[in-house]
Amino acid sequence: MSTEASRTSPSPSPGQIAGGGLPRGIVPLGIFAAILLGLVGLMFAPANEAGSIQSAKHSLDVGSNALGALLPILLAAVIGYTAPKNLERGSRITIAIIAALIAVFVSRMWGGPTEEHPAETPHLLSWLIGLPMAGGFFLLFLPRQSPTLLRTYTMVVMLGTLALSLPLLSVTMGREFHFNHDVAWIPQFGIHYHVAIDGLSVWLVILTTFIVPIAAFASYGSVQNRFKEWCFALLFLEAAMIGAFVSLDLFLFYVFWELMLIPMYVMIGVWGGSNRIYAAIKFFLYTMVGSLLMLAAILYMGSLYGRASGGTFSFDYFELQRLLIPQHVQAYLFFAFLLSFIIKVPMFPFHTWLPDAHTEAPTAGSIILAAVMLKLGTYGYLRFNVGLFPESSHWMAANLAGVAVLGGILYGALCAWKQDDIKRLVAYSSVAHLGYVMLGIFSGTASGLQGAVLQMVNHGISTGLLFLLVGVVYDRRHTRAVNAFGGIAKVMPVYTAFFIIATIASIGVPGTNGFVGEFMVISGTMVSKALGHFNGVQAMGAALGVILGALYMLSMVQKVFFGPLDKEENKRLTDINSRELIAAVPLTIMIFVIGFFPKLFLDPIAGATSRIQGDMESRVLANPPNVNAKFGGYYDGPVRLQARKAEATPLLATPPAADAPAAAAQANVEGK
Amino acid sequence: MFLVLSPFIVLAVGALLLMLAEAFTGSERSLSVVGSIVLFATSACGLAVWLLGTDNVDLSVLAPWIILDRFSLFFNALLPFGAALVCLLSGGYLEEHRLQRGEFYQLIFFTTLGTMFLSAAGDGLTLLLGLETMSIGAYALTAFRRTSTRSVEGGLKYFLLGSFSAALLLFGLALLYGVTGHTDLAGLRDGLAHGGALSDPRVIFALLLVLSGLAFKVSAFPFHMWAPDAYEGAPTPATSLMASTVKAGGFAMAIRVLVTAFGDPASTSWASGWPPVVAWLAVLTITIGNLIAGRQDSVKRMLAYSSVVHAGYMLVGLAAFGAAKSAAIASILFYLVTYTVSTIGALGVLILAGSHGKEAVSYEDLAGIGKRHPALGLAFSFFLLSLAGIPPTAGFFGKWYLVKAILEGGMPLLGVITVLNSVLSAYYYLRVLVFMYMKEPAPGAPKAVPMRSGEVNAALVIAAVCVALLGLRPGATIDASEEAAKTLVQ
Repeated sequence: MSTEASRTSPSPSPGQIAGGGLPRGIVPLGIFAAILLGLVGLMFAPANEAGSIQSAKHSLDVGSNALGALLPILLAAVIGYTAPKNLERGSRITIAIIAALIAVFVSRMWGGPTEEHPAETPHLLSWLIGLPMAGGFFLLFLPRQSPTLLRTYTMVVMLGTLALSLPLLSVTMGREFHFNHDVAWIPQFGIHYHVAIDGLSVWLVILTTFIVPIAAFASYGSVQNRFKEWCFALLFLEAAMIGAFVSLDLFLFYVFWELMLIPMYVMIGVWGGSNRIYAAIKFFLYTMVGSLLMLAAILYMGSLYGRASGGTFSFDYFELQRLLIPQHVQAYLFFAFLLSFIIKVPMFPFHTWLPDAHTEAPTAGSIILAAVMLKLGTYGYLRFNVGLFPESSHWMAANLAGVAVLGGILYGALCAWKQDDIKRLVAYSSVAHLGYVMLGIFSGTASGLQGAVLQMVNHGISTGLLFLLVGVVYDRRHTRAVNAFGGIAKVMPVYTAFFIIATIASIGVPGTNGFVGEFMVISGTMVSKALGHFNGVQAMGAALGVILGALYMLSMVQKVFFGPLDKEENKRLTDINSRELIAAVPLTIMIFVIGFFPKLFLDPIAGATSRIQGDMESRVLANPPNVNAKFGGYYDGPVRLQARKAEATPLLATPPAADAPAAAAQANVEGK
Repeated sequence: MFLVLSPFIVLAVGALLLMLAEAFTGSERSLSVVGSIVLFATSACGLAVWLLGTDNVDLSVLAPWIILDRFSLFFNALLPFGAALVCLLSGGYLEEHRLQRGEFYQLIFFTTLGTMFLSAAGDGLTLLLGLETMSIGAYALTAFRRTSTRSVEGGLKYFLLGSFSAALLLFGLALLYGVTGHTDLAGLRDGLAHGGALSDPRVIFALLLVLSGLAFKVSAFPFHMWAPDAYEGAPTPATSLMASTVKAGGFAMAIRVLVTAFGDPASTSWASGWPPVVAWLAVLTITIGNLIAGRQDSVKRMLAYSSVVHAGYMLVGLAAFGAAKSAAIASILFYLVTYTVSTIGALGVLILAGSHGKEAVSYEDLAGIGKRHPALGLAFSFFLLSLAGIPPTAGFFGKWYLVKAILEGGMPLLGVITVLNSVLSAYYYLRVLVFMYMKEPAPGAPKAVPMRSGEVNAALVIAAVCVALLGLRPGATIDASEEAAKTLVQ
């Protein structure tokens, strides 16, 4: 799409280039390249080593690896050459390197994980949490007077975290958990520091480590005051979000969940728009109401566990999963968790904080909020509500799906249609898109669940890009009103190209990421048994939502970018500058990568969703519903503990039997 | 036995020696540091006695007036620790505001000694002695700024209502003596368990009086009226003493009286009916305290109401005693520890934020201070987040443990009310953050100029370390509070 951009770009005229932003960006980007190239080298190293054991295949491996290494370099050269000529050399090289790295990523992922003995370092996840957090604390000792140092340092820490997160993909994500790390934290309450990752959370963690540096880089030009605090908040937020995605102890999860709030609150409140304090407090209080009720539910589950197990306490996810709670109690616990998560998602009728928060938040805050933080709501529902209360989630699925379709997809789309502020429009479109994610989860089918997880990633990328691009135009005009623009495609052609790519991804045009996720969700809804008789209606409603999505996005695009360029202020607008372009390119590429190669992303997800689905179905089969009872009438006996399933305990890095996976990996290599 | 009594002896002798030293040298400069060393030493003695145990010591000489069990040893370590931090704060504050007079420290010592006696009192007589020792010190501390009308007003209010509440308590105990013939708490329990005490209206009336007196001391609704005025008028170190050590002493007394004398559910039908009453008091205290605190313009007054609210939280724990037994008491004890360090920290930052003639009192005074003085802003945020109960701070664990005890006591509704009230309280704690970080002082408005004081800084560092440690590794403290609670609840 860089080539596409170059086609639409006019012949360079020096006065049009924003120019100045580049030299500041070059240092972190050089380091970015160095780190990621080093990482690529690391990824190659073990493959060669393994190859040397089997000398016959050795040359073949090296040959294919060499080709694999050469292709991205070629691609980089092509893209660097065809990139818009009005950009400086440094940023063209950077864009080429980003493209090449993503190409390497795709080619490495294509055959599945190739390492024969996935070396699961149990501390990897702790490093992922610890690096940004320690980096944030160390940042406090850096001098405030040198923003360049702060910028470079923050970027290095974030890219280091990104580099650290990529080895997560080197293991085959089956049905079970990986990178398990479990130590007692507060034995008096049975609280553990327990982190692990499965196919559900792995992409969300990588999404976090991928989006945060982009958001930070995008903010470097627009955030001027109190830059040190800004960097601190970003690093702290990243650590807390990663922590929330990987923690499997409910207590630990709650700690990270609350910890996330404070940096985001400060980001909205300090660097936000004119009405920022109202938005920040609204955001904080809304989220806190839900999360405190969840805290009470967590505590209550802990005490139920203590009662059932005869005195030992635990807040561990796997232990609490064994708990069989009578339905009339479970329903309350379910609602407490549900409230917390649907406020975060947000789902109708608790979505009102979102437009305010987005409108007032700075661009980077919006990107992170939309791309990652909202996912914590959908992730939390899938992980905790479905995982801990399968009967209740089955019982409520049909009703909640109705809310997701009517209140989320359709109402969100209609609200978005009527907005005259671009950012508010994108915020409401988030409500609609997350309606799809929730619908997929409620459907409980394989396709629906996989589509939902993939759609979480998709929404992160496409809406992240949309917020980024809205920020670009806001920085120039300091307004986001749709009717303040018109015809700006004439003065900002490259920007327009990017915006349209983001728009079609958001609408879900085939070939972009949005299509895959929405299609899977809708087809999963169509065949869902959990949704009862109305599954067809709900699928139709969701499909209608796609049409409405096209309507509101395209009408906005038409009003903003096309038509006559009649406003005097818009005639002087400069096109996207190199810093903004560098932030936008990786997201744009990922839109097409997911759009064309969804298998890469769905393979790790499939195992985890089939486990979740299987667990839920077996529990519902064991305790069948009784429609006449008040709370759905599933299990209604005393609280008791089920026996441990072999599968439920995460197996920590059992080196797989040497033959089978190695042979499979070998077959993959040969197959290429 | 003297070893077991060492916390009391160290504090009393230290206080007297310091009084002499001050009289002879006429220098007040080093009093705060030396005073805090004495108090830290007292706390260390309490800790040492805790570790050595009192099993092999014959304490029958003291019985039934002074009870030295794990419960009182817990307070013997906690109360002087809080007072030591207050002592350090006073050093900086009094110097800055030209109030440096030796008797301030003596008053802190004797107030602390009173609270320690209160926590160990096993008899109505020693209880009242401890209570009066504590209260008189606190009255004088409140009115310490003689030139300020607010300080004197606060002191007078506190004195009048405080003596009234002490009288109520005394009257209640006297009635109980009339019914049972005992003044010691263990004897009261036995007396109430036997005979016609069950249906005696005098017992009910006495219980009502005792409860009112106790509610006054811990500033629970509807007896909280004195607290905001006294807290706001008092010099800030005195406020922090009242919010921490004096409040903890009040709770020590309330827990011991209610649990020892009325805690036997088998004994009395009416008299063991206090937990529901306390539950209502607690819910009203929290809710009303939160609603009023949210409307304050003065941060100091907000913190005063917040102290009322926190007393309410602890009362919720006390109300759960009926079902959760020792877990409920343990949760209150742990909450007291976390609350002591957090509130002393928060008030300490408030002290640090102002200087002579430019005290930081209102929200407006703090506008933009987080930008001008990042370390101060960060410290204040940290302590306030702990008070609001945001993880991973001490306050969060306090609330966690408390709600856990309530839920295990089978009171889910009370637990939900408690956590929802935390949201209300988050509003006004966050408002401070809003002013510190997100607003700028109005042009021309007087802005608070932070003072410089090594002593205050030291106290804040100690408090911050405690808050962080309790937030990350609360294990040992929880063990201790559980052990202390178990000795009380047989």
